[in-house]
Amino acid sequence: MTSLVSAHNVSKFYRDVRAVDDVSFEIEKGKITGLIGPNGAGKTTLLKAVLGLTDCQGTLSVLGLDPFRQRKELMQNICFIADVAVLPRWIRVHQLLDFIESVHPHFSRSHAGELLAKTKIKANSKVRELSKGMVTQLHLSIITAVDAKLLVLDEPTLGLDIIFRKEFYGNLLNDYFDGERTIIITTHQVEEIENLLTDVMFINDGKIVLDASMDDLPERYVELLASGEDAEAARRLNPIYERDVFGKKVLMFEGVSRDRLQGMGEVRTPGVADLFVAKVKGAAA
Amino acid sequence: MINNQFALIKRELWEHRAIYVMPLVIAVLVSLMSITGQVAVSGFDHAVDIGILGATNLGENERSAAITVLMISLSSTFVFAMWILITFYALDALYAERKDRSILFWRSIPVTDFDTVMSKLLTALVVIPLVTFVVIVVTHLIVLLITSMWLGARGANAWHLIWTAAPFFDNWTATLIFVLALSLWLSPFAGWFLFVSAFTKRSPLLIASLPIAILPLLERIVFKTSVFAEAFFVRSVKMPLFAGLDNLELLFQEGKDLKMVGDASLSLMSLLDLGQFFGSVGLWSGLVVCGLFTTAAIYVRRYRDDS
Repeated sequence: MTSLVSAHNVSKFYRDVRAVDDVSFEIEKGKITGLIGPNGAGKTTLLKAVLGLTDCQGTLSVLGLDPFRQRKELMQNICFIADVAVLPRWIRVHQLLDFIESVHPHFSRSHAGELLAKTKIKANSKVRELSKGMVTQLHLSIITAVDAKLLVLDEPTLGLDIIFRKEFYGNLLNDYFDGERTIIITTHQVEEIENLLTDVMFINDGKIVLDASMDDLPERYVELLASGEDAEAARRLNPIYERDVFGKKVLMFEGVSRDRLQGMGEVRTPGVADLFVAKVKGAAA
Repeated sequence: MINNQFALIKRELWEHRAIYVMPLVIAVLVSLMSITGQVAVSGFDHAVDIGILGATNLGENERSAAITVLMISLSSTFVFAMWILITFYALDALYAERKDRSILFWRSIPVTDFDTVMSKLLTALVVIPLVTFVVIVVTHLIVLLITSMWLGARGANAWHLIWTAAPFFDNWTATLIFVLALSLWLSPFAGWFLFVSAFTKRSPLLIASLPIAILPLLERIVFKTSVFAEAFFVRSVKMPLFAGLDNLELLFQEGKDLKMVGDASLSLMSLLDLGQFFGSVGLWSGLVVCGLFTTAAIYVRRYRDDS
């Protein structure tokens, strides 16, 4: 496996605030990695560093390039949709396609046209005339038509209704992802992307608190639903997090085998959202 | 690189439609005014007929000079509008993309900040003057055509009066040189405006005007000198393009009565001195200042981090 993104001891300070704190990780080709963290955890700062929009300390390499110093080369092979990277409101759809076609070496105008034909977006419309959902569709169509090695999505579906959100991720998997391309996604709606991730990274207070493959999660983490004495017994196995559900206890364990918990109650694999809360809140406790 | 510049400049024209809409609106207004003007003087039939007769009897040089004056008076409105356009365009060029938050999108496309800012500088200093020039030429033709029709309706020979006498080549070449030279001469202001539009968080016009107004004043109070005031004044009125004539005295010399300068065959090209213009320290120091501000604008766009 080749590393597409490789970070070693990456830090970023804003005056005295440590937005990203000595972070190291690798993202391999063909992976869909969810970068999940609470507001202000440093997600966007980390993505900005990956996109070369901000300088950072440490060693960061994206597609073998220094993202901040080799931005133009980087941008030929990388695409991003950020909630804050809005399309210009004055431009017409066909102008936007014309422009990108003439400056982007890896953009396929015909592919973008095919994708847009499936939507209600008209070539002559101005972006300001489109709904927020349609603007996101337009943006995704453009990016899908770029033959990029890495796609970075920072809260891409913020402010969209559930139908557009489902459609967005559906299109992402069907039209964009082909096993060769690599995607990094951040979002608050963890449940919605859980099924499409291959890897997950949790970030809190600028530090990475979990970096795992989705396939490894069931082995590493287990959740027990128990009550009464069973819960008391299970508590001795040092759960990383505990919460109440309908009068029962839900205990989450890291590195405890399922066999040891069998018989104490219902054993299951925790959802990413619960795991996230456990990791972040557990660390704070 | 060249293809990119072409696409980027086309993009500027899509976004800033005033670049061609404003000259076109002025062209329509000027053309309408030439019609109403001719209708208005038609009330003085006798005097007008005598005037036309007098014009018909003038020599070719005199007719040529008279038409040159007409063409210049038409052009001057556009040149004035051009500078207003350059000012407002440059102040908006790097500000609008931050105001509408599209800058991250533009920066997600493989175009360097250098190329983007250069496309905006080229639009201000070359594209706007060229568009202005084309609209001036079209307006000249329209107004002269309207005048010909009016003369023809009064029985005069418009072909003889206007079209054989109008020094089109001389006038248009000089106009083209003039608009481009003017934008180069005023380029330090354009560079400053671009720089302001790259860094200011609000009111680019106000932020850009303040130093121009306050620096000379401060200098006067603190140092009792007027280097800035003179630099701004010289930059505004004394472009070294004209051979032996000041800007303001281009066509007429002030005396008891205004009278036309030189012989009656008024060649505008003969008034221009390109050697003097390109040899002047003022031009090159202005371009250096423009370059410094542009570099600063590129730097700000590249390194700004708004988070």
